[in-house]
Amino acid sequence: MKLAGLKSIENAHDDSVWAAAWVPATEARPALLMTGSLDETVRFWKSDDLVLERTNTGHCLGVVSVAAHPSGVIAASASIDSLVRVFDVDTNATIASLEAPPSEVWQMRFDAKGTTLAVAGGGSASIKLWDTATWRLTATLSIPRPEVSKPSDKSGSKKFVLSVAWSPDGKRLACGSMDGTISVFDVARGKFLHHLAGHYMPVRSLVFSPNDSRKLFSASDDAHVHIYDVEGKSLIGAMSGHASWVLSVDASPDGEAIATGSSDKTVRLWDLRMRAALQTMSNHTDQVWGVAFRPGVRAAGRLASVSDDKSISLYDYS
Amino acid sequence: MACVYIPVQNSEEEVRVALDQLPRDASDILDILKAEQAPLDLWLIIAREYFKQGKIEQFRQILEEGSSPEIDEYYADVRYERIAILNALGAYYSYLGKIETKQREKEDHFILATQYYNKASRIDMHEPSTWVGKGQLLLAKGDVEQAFAAFKIVLEGDRDNVPALLGQACVEFNRGHYSDSLELYKRALQVYPDCPGAVRLGIGLCRYKLGQFEKARNAFQRVLQIDPENVEALVALAIIDLQANDAAGIRRGMEKMQRAFEIYPYCAMALNYLANHFFFTGQHFLVEQLTETALAVTNHGPTKAHSYYNLARSYHSKGDYEKAGFYYMASIKEINKPHEFVFPYYGLGQVKLKSGDFKSALSNFEKVLEVYPDNCETLKALGHIYVQLGLTEKAQEFMRKATKIDPRDAQAFLDLGELLISSDAGAALDAFKTARSHMEKACQPVPVEVLNNIGVLHFEREEFELALQSFKKALGDGIWLTFLGDDKLNPYVIGVGASILDYKDMQLFHRLEEEGHSVELPWSKVTALFNLARLQEQLQNTDAACLFYRLILFKYPDYIDAYLRLAAIAKARNNLQLSIELVNEALKVNDKCPNALSMLGDLELKNDDWVKAKETLRAASDATDGKDSYAILSLGNWNYFAAVRNEKRNPKLEATHLEKAKELYTKVLVQHTSNLYAANGAAVVLAEKGHFDVSKDIFTQVQEAASGSVFVQMPDVWINLAHVYFAQGNFALAVKMYQNCLRKFYYNTDSQILLYLARTHYEAEQWQECKKTLLRAIHLAPSNYTLRFDAGVAMQKFSASTLQKAKRTADEVRSTVAELENAVRVFSQLSAASNLHLHGFDEKKINTHVEYCKHLLEAAKVHREAAEREEQQNRQKQEAARQLALAEEARRKAEEQRKFLLERRKQEDEQKRLQKEEEHFRRVQEQWRSNAPSKRRERSEMDEEDGGHSEKRRRKGGKRRKKDKNSRSRYDREEEENDMGDYQEELEDEDADTNYRESMSQLNDQDDDAGGNAQDILAAAGLEDSDAEDEPAPTSAARRRQALSESDDDEEPVKRGANNSPVRENSAEMQLSDGEIREDNNKPNRDVDDNEE
Repeated sequence: MKLAGLKSIENAHDDSVWAAAWVPATEARPALLMTGSLDETVRFWKSDDLVLERTNTGHCLGVVSVAAHPSGVIAASASIDSLVRVFDVDTNATIASLEAPPSEVWQMRFDAKGTTLAVAGGGSASIKLWDTATWRLTATLSIPRPEVSKPSDKSGSKKFVLSVAWSPDGKRLACGSMDGTISVFDVARGKFLHHLAGHYMPVRSLVFSPNDSRKLFSASDDAHVHIYDVEGKSLIGAMSGHASWVLSVDASPDGEAIATGSSDKTVRLWDLRMRAALQTMSNHTDQVWGVAFRPGVRAAGRLASVSDDKSISLYDYS
Repeated sequence: MACVYIPVQNSEEEVRVALDQLPRDASDILDILKAEQAPLDLWLIIAREYFKQGKIEQFRQILEEGSSPEIDEYYADVRYERIAILNALGAYYSYLGKIETKQREKEDHFILATQYYNKASRIDMHEPSTWVGKGQLLLAKGDVEQAFAAFKIVLEGDRDNVPALLGQACVEFNRGHYSDSLELYKRALQVYPDCPGAVRLGIGLCRYKLGQFEKARNAFQRVLQIDPENVEALVALAIIDLQANDAAGIRRGMEKMQRAFEIYPYCAMALNYLANHFFFTGQHFLVEQLTETALAVTNHGPTKAHSYYNLARSYHSKGDYEKAGFYYMASIKEINKPHEFVFPYYGLGQVKLKSGDFKSALSNFEKVLEVYPDNCETLKALGHIYVQLGLTEKAQEFMRKATKIDPRDAQAFLDLGELLISSDAGAALDAFKTARSHMEKACQPVPVEVLNNIGVLHFEREEFELALQSFKKALGDGIWLTFLGDDKLNPYVIGVGASILDYKDMQLFHRLEEEGHSVELPWSKVTALFNLARLQEQLQNTDAACLFYRLILFKYPDYIDAYLRLAAIAKARNNLQLSIELVNEALKVNDKCPNALSMLGDLELKNDDWVKAKETLRAASDATDGKDSYAILSLGNWNYFAAVRNEKRNPKLEATHLEKAKELYTKVLVQHTSNLYAANGAAVVLAEKGHFDVSKDIFTQVQEAASGSVFVQMPDVWINLAHVYFAQGNFALAVKMYQNCLRKFYYNTDSQILLYLARTHYEAEQWQECKKTLLRAIHLAPSNYTLRFDAGVAMQKFSASTLQKAKRTADEVRSTVAELENAVRVFSQLSAASNLHLHGFDEKKINTHVEYCKHLLEAAKVHREAAEREEQQNRQKQEAARQLALAEEARRKAEEQRKFLLERRKQEDEQKRLQKEEEHFRRVQEQWRSNAPSKRRERSEMDEEDGGHSEKRRRKGGKRRKKDKNSRSRYDREEEENDMGDYQEELEDEDADTNYRESMSQLNDQDDDAGGNAQDILAAAGLEDSDAEDEPAPTSAARRRQALSESDDDEEPVKRGANNSPVRENSAEMQLSDGEIREDNNKPNRDVDDNEE
C-alpha cells in the first residue's frame, strides 16, 4: 500500500484548483480526470500523462464542485454562483442547468446507479436530489432545525451543508455541515435518520467505504479524520496527523486505504487497518482541495490531487 | 635502688634516703636537709625525684624552700646549685604556664617563671642553663625572636649545648625554617646520641614539613622505639598513615591514634583526628565528646580551629544549621588567615547559603576561592549564589570556569545547562548534552530530568525528532510505547474509546491492565510523559497526546496541567462544551489554579459570556495577587473588546474601557518589560487613538521579537501591523503583510484575514484582486453571506469603474457586462436567501443593489454596443464623411440637452450634497452603534510560570472569532453604506440621465460622430465622474478623503470620543500627514541650501 508520484502539472489552471473527480472510462475512451478551478473553467485531463483534453468555460465565479456520472458520459460542475451545469463529457453539450434558489450548491455526487444527483444545498440546510433522466428536482432532504431556536442564534448558517456522500448501496445519504454535525438520511423514504457527532468544525468532505455501507469517513477543519459506524451512530475511530484543516477525503477502490488532502499542503495515505498515516506527500505548495482515487481498474490504481497552487498531481497507488 | 646520702653535720655519718621511699610529707626531708645543712645539689636531686614521682607539691615545696632568702644567705657562695634550683622552678612555672589554658593564670605562671630566671641571672649572668630556660619560657610565651636571642647567647658560648640546640631548633621550626631546624636537631643528636625521643620527634616533624614523609616516618618510628608511649610520635605517624588516604592506611592511622588516645587522652591533635574519623563513620556523639575535650585541653589556635570545625561539621551534617554556623564562626575566629585552614569558610558558606544569607555565603566562598582558585565545588557554589542574587552572567562565568577546570564533571555541566536555559537555549542544550555523554561514558544512568530537559530544548528549537528520542529515552519502556504505535499491537490494543470524547473513561486502562499490559507511570516520569504528549500535539498526533494525558490522569488525577491540555485540545477542535467540562475538572482539583481560571475565562468569552468571563478572569488575577501577567492581560483584552464591541457605542464607556485596558497592559509591562503581548496590547490601544507611527514601531519590534521560537506564535501582531499600514494608506505593504501572515500562521485558511486583504484591495481599487480574494474567502467560509455581499459590491464597483474609464475596449465592456450580471445574480440570491433569514441583511438594501446593478447593466449594454460600434467604425472609415454630418447634428442636440441637464444637475448636486452631509452624519451615528473592533487581539500565552516543562504553548486566545463576527458585520455594513453613498449618488445621476438618454438613443441611432459623442455617452451612463467634469478637483478630493475616513473607521476603530465630525477629524489628519510630507520635502531642500552655502 503506497503512493508513488507519477506526474505533476504546474499551472494546470490559471488559478486555484478547487475540485477534482474522475470520469469513468467509456467504450470509446479511458477515464478522464476532471478539475474545477477558481479561474471559472472545468478541465479534462488524460491519464497518465495528464494531457489537457478540453477546457470547459461557462461558469461565473469559481468552480467549487465537479461530479461525474458512473457511466462516464455525463458530468456536472457547480460554481459559487450556485449554478449546476450538467453536460456531455465528450461533446461539452449542455444537458441541463440546475438551480434551486435560494439553495446554494456545494459538493455534488451521483449515486452508484447513476439515477440521482445529490447536491449539498448550503444555507438551505438540505440535500437536493435531481433525477438524472428528467433533470427535475425530485426531493429535498432537510436537516431538522433545532426546535427552540433563538432569533439571535444563526442556526441556519451553522447547519450550512457543505458535503454529501452516497453509501455504495445507495440506501443512505450523509451530509456534513459547518457546525461539524453529520446528518444521515434514508434515501428511499426521504427521511432524516440521525446525526453523527464528534466534529465541531466544518465537515468539508465525506466518503463511504466502497465495500462497507456502514462505514463513513469524514474530513473536518479540526484536522481529524473520523470513522463512523453510520447505522450504529457511533464514532469508531479518529485519526490525527494533519496540521490544519482536512479538506478532502476519498476511499481507495479496494477499501483498504483512504487519502486525504489538507490545508497543511500535504496529501496523506492512511492504512485503515493500522489506523495510521502510511505516507505523506508534500509536493503541493498550497492547500490541497481535492483528492480522488480513480474508480475501478484494480491493477493500476491512481490518485489525483488538486491544490490552491494551481497544480494537479497524479500518483500511482499500489 | 637509688639512694642519696645526706651527710650528717659534723660527723662521718650519712643519712641514707631511698629515693623511692621519699616521705609523703616533704617537710620531713626538708627538716633533715635544713638540719644537716645538706649540699644544695641534694635538695635538687630530691625535688627532682618528687617531680618524677608526680609529687609536684613536694617538688615545689623543696625547691621553694631551697630558693628562700635564708638559703641564699647561708649558701651564698654555692652559686651553681642555687641557679639550678631557680632554673628548675622557672622551668616548672614555664611548663605550668604553657599548659595552663586560662589566660590569667597562664600570665601569672609566666611572671613567676620570669622572676625565677631573673633571680638566677642575678646570681650569674652567664650561666647557660638560665639562658636556655629563659629561651624556653619565651618560646612558651610565643616570643620566638627573643627566644632565638636567648638560645643564641648560649650557643655562642657553647655550640654543642644540647638544650640550646633543641631550643633553637624549635625556634627555627616555628619560624618555618624547617631545614635549619633539622640541622640543629641533627647536631643535638650528634652531640648527645642518647637523648630522649623528643629530639627525634623534632627531626620527624621537620622532615614531615619538608615533605620527606618516609624519613619523617622513620624518625617517628625511632622515637617510638625509644619511647613506645610517645604520644606525639604516635599521632604524627598516624597522620602520615592517614594521609596515605587508602583504607589500610586509614585503619593503621586510626589504630595509632587510638593508642595515643589511650596513652594520653588529652592530646588535642589526636582528639581532633579521632573526631574527624568518627565524623566520617557517623558517630556524632563521639565527635562532640572528643572535640569538646580537645577544646578544653588546647590553646593552640589552629588546633582549636580544627576542633570547632569538627564540631560544626557534625552539627552541619545533623542539620542543625544554627549551631553549625556558630561553630564554623568560632573556628574562623581562631584562624588568622584563610590560607591556614579554609574548610570552615566553606562550611560557613554552605550554612549561610542554606539559611538564605547569600551575601555572607558569597564572601565565605570567595575566601575559599582565594585559597583554591580552581576548586570546582566552590565555583559551582558561587555560581548558584549568583543565580540566587540574579547575577546570571556572573553565575555563568563561574559555572563555565568550573566546567573548564573539570571537563568531566557532569554535574557542573548540568548546573551550567540549567543556568543557561533561560538565556541561551542553544548553549544550555550543549551543556546538557555534554553532561549526558559524560554520564553515558561513565555508565551512569542519566537522570530522567536531564533527558527531559534535553528533550524540551530540542522541542523549543523545533528539532522534534531529537526531542522525541530524548523523551523516549527519559521514559524508557512502558505502555506509552504502545500508544505511540511503536509496537505493532497498537490499534488492537487501544481499540475504541481512544478518542478525547471519552476522557473520563478509564476503562481503557483497566482493560489494558487486565490484558496483562503494565500500566505503570512512576512519578518521576510524569513530566517527561507530559512533554512527550505536548510534542505529539505539536506533531499533530493528537490521539496519542490525548492518551498520554489520560494516562497521567489515570495515575495522578490531580495533575491539573493534563486536564488543561485536554481542554486545549478540545478547544482547538471547537468542542467548547467538552473543553469547559475539562477545565472544571481541573478546577475541582484546585479552584484557585490561575491557569485553569484563565482558560475558563477565555472559553466563556468564546461562548459570548462576557460578564462571567470577566469575573473568572478577575478571579484568576486575584488568585495570583495580580502577579499573573496572563490574567491581567486577559482582563486588558476584555476591556479592549468591551470598548469596541458595544452595539450602541457609548463614547464615554469606550474611553473608560480603553483607558482601563491601557492601564492593565502597562501594569504587565511594568512587571515584565519584555512581555510581547502586553506590548502588542498597548500598541493596539495607541493605534485606536490614532498614534499610528508609535504603534507601528511597537508592532514591528514585537514582530521581530516573536519570530524564532516555536512557543511564541503571534500572528496578531502581523495583522495589527498590516492594519496600521492599511490605515496609513500603504496598501501594498498591508497586502504583503496580510498575505505573509495568512501563509505563515494559518495555512491560508483564515477567511477573516482574506476579508482584510480584500478590503485593502478594494481601497487600492484593485477590483479583480478584491473579487478573487473574496471568492477564496467564500470558498473557505461558505456560510458567511456577507462575503458574498462584498463580492457583489466588488463586482459592481469594478463595473462602474470600468465604465468610468475614458477609453476602453469592447472586450473590457463585455467583461464588465458579465461581471454586472454576476453581481446581479449574487445580489438576487442574497435577496432570495434573506427570506429565510439566513443572514442579517436588509432585504430592501439588497434589492436596491440589484436594481442599481440592473441599471448599470443596461447602461453597460449600451456602452458595449457603443464600444462595439466604435470598433466597427474604425473599420468603416470610408463611411466617416456621411456619419460626420449626422454626428454634427447629434452633437448640437446633445449639447442643448446637456446644458439643460447640467443646470439641473447643479441644483441637484447642491441638494444632494446637503443630503449627503446629513446622511453621513447619520451614518456616523450608526457606526457608533454598530461596533467594529477590527484590531485583532493577541492571544496571550503564558508560559514562564509553568517552569521548565513545556506547558508552554497553552493557547488561551479565543476571543477572535467573536470579535471577527462583529467586525465582519460592521465591515459590511460600512461597506454597504459606503457603496450606498456612491450608489445613491449614481442613482440620482442615473435618474437625471434617463430622460436624456431617450433622446440620446435617438441620436445614437443616427450613428453620429463618435469623437464628439464620447463625453455625452459617458454622461449618459450616469457616471460619477460627470460630477468631476463640473467641479473636478473638490469632489474627487472629498470622496477620496471620505474613503480614507471610512477606512479608518473601519479597520481601526479610531476613537472619536465626543467628536461628532469624523470627517473633520480625518481631514485634520490628512493635513497633518500633508504637513509631514511637506516637512520631508523641506528637509532635503534645506540640505541642498546648506550645501550651496
